[in-house]
Amino acid sequence: MRIDEDSCIACGLCVPYCPMGAINMDDIATIDEDECIDCGVCLRAKVCPVDAFIYEPAPWPRSLRAVFSDPTTEHKETTVTGRGTEEMKTNDVTGRFKRGWVGIGIELGRPGVGARFRDVDKVAQAMARSGARFEPNSPVTLLMEDVGAGKLRDDVLDEKVLSAIIECGFPIEKIRIALTALKEVAQDVDTVFSVDCISVAEPDGSLPVDKILSELEISRYINGKTNVGLGRPLAEGERR
Amino acid sequence: MTHTLHRIGTADGLSGDYVILCMRAAGINDVGSDAKLQEFLRIATDHDPKNIGSVRMNMFSHKPAEVIANAHSIAHAVFDNQQAVTQVLRELKQADLGLSIVVSGVLDSVNECCQQAGLKRHTVEFSLGIWGMTDKLPSNEVLEVTTMCGHAMVSPKLVESMVADIRKGAKNPDGAAKELASHCCCGVFNPARAARLLAEMAGPDINP
Repeated sequence: MRIDEDSCIACGLCVPYCPMGAINMDDIATIDEDECIDCGVCLRAKVCPVDAFIYEPAPWPRSLRAVFSDPTTEHKETTVTGRGTEEMKTNDVTGRFKRGWVGIGIELGRPGVGARFRDVDKVAQAMARSGARFEPNSPVTLLMEDVGAGKLRDDVLDEKVLSAIIECGFPIEKIRIALTALKEVAQDVDTVFSVDCISVAEPDGSLPVDKILSELEISRYINGKTNVGLGRPLAEGERR
Repeated sequence: MTHTLHRIGTADGLSGDYVILCMRAAGINDVGSDAKLQEFLRIATDHDPKNIGSVRMNMFSHKPAEVIANAHSIAHAVFDNQQAVTQVLRELKQADLGLSIVVSGVLDSVNECCQQAGLKRHTVEFSLGIWGMTDKLPSNEVLEVTTMCGHAMVSPKLVESMVADIRKGAKNPDGAAKELASHCCCGVFNPARAARLLAEMAGPDINP
């Protein structure tokens, strides 16, 4: 994204709209290109009285900024729409997560801080060393040159995005190792990340992972997401 | 896409914040799914949703009828009370659309809604919170507003700017909340809750 310097009237109306705080006001408004994540909020807000915002799709690898940061943009390089996958939202139908298996989503940069793929790479490699199985259709997995090692391709590492989700899973008996490794790597990144934990309910409605989280003294929010099992056809092994 | 998870708030604040989403599974039940998403939104709109949306539209950027007509791949409806969630779940069970339904909200309350609607939870996603360099975050009260847009399209500075405008009398909390909601592309932002939060931030003399 850039601002046409000949058009800008320095009104400053656009400044608060940028989620990254990348619009600076001097004689006119300018965008810090390295911090801008091409999310398009400033353009879509239509707040500029002289239409000075100009967006031209960027070439690879900068193109990743828009596809990971602008929810109205599709992942052309990765062929997946959106930042992530359907994850648990359609699990009643896809059976992506099964009993005895825990899905972990690590969203680097969320909420609203942004992240470089260098930090995504660091966390992904830590998860790989803990035995993660990466979701094959996740946009982040598709950027890996070595999925077994969780290693992202070098040419993307300096790109900044609003957020990027590492989607992976572990057998429930390995979740302690994974979350302990995640605690350690959290000390070594230059951003924040939000963590989610997905599991299938037992027939009595209980969630075995809850007990493990308590034992690890990892607190969880009181709110979360519940798939209520109305999708059809039900996934293999779930038919009743 | 965990866009409705990780909403920050107190137990009291979150008790008025539920998102029901309806989604097709690509390659499995997506044939004819847009019409079913539209039906989902029609059912939701009978129960006073605070917002509805699909991939690129919400009811503050477009007319509700346009949102419904253009629903594609996923649709959302936001509610501010448990009773509405229960009733929508009952009607969705009866409608048997065959698409996946997910409810975001206080987990124990959502479980109660499921039980009252004759449903059992299938899969649950917990938020384990924010890790890493948390000193980069804005204040918690700002996060309570911004995290209602999981794609982070509502900037912290814009929230602060709205609060300043409310204090000056240039905006009221309801109008400011709806303006913020318009930036959340897919319509999962809860303007009713946001208005209360903005009023609290603006000061004791401001009513939502």
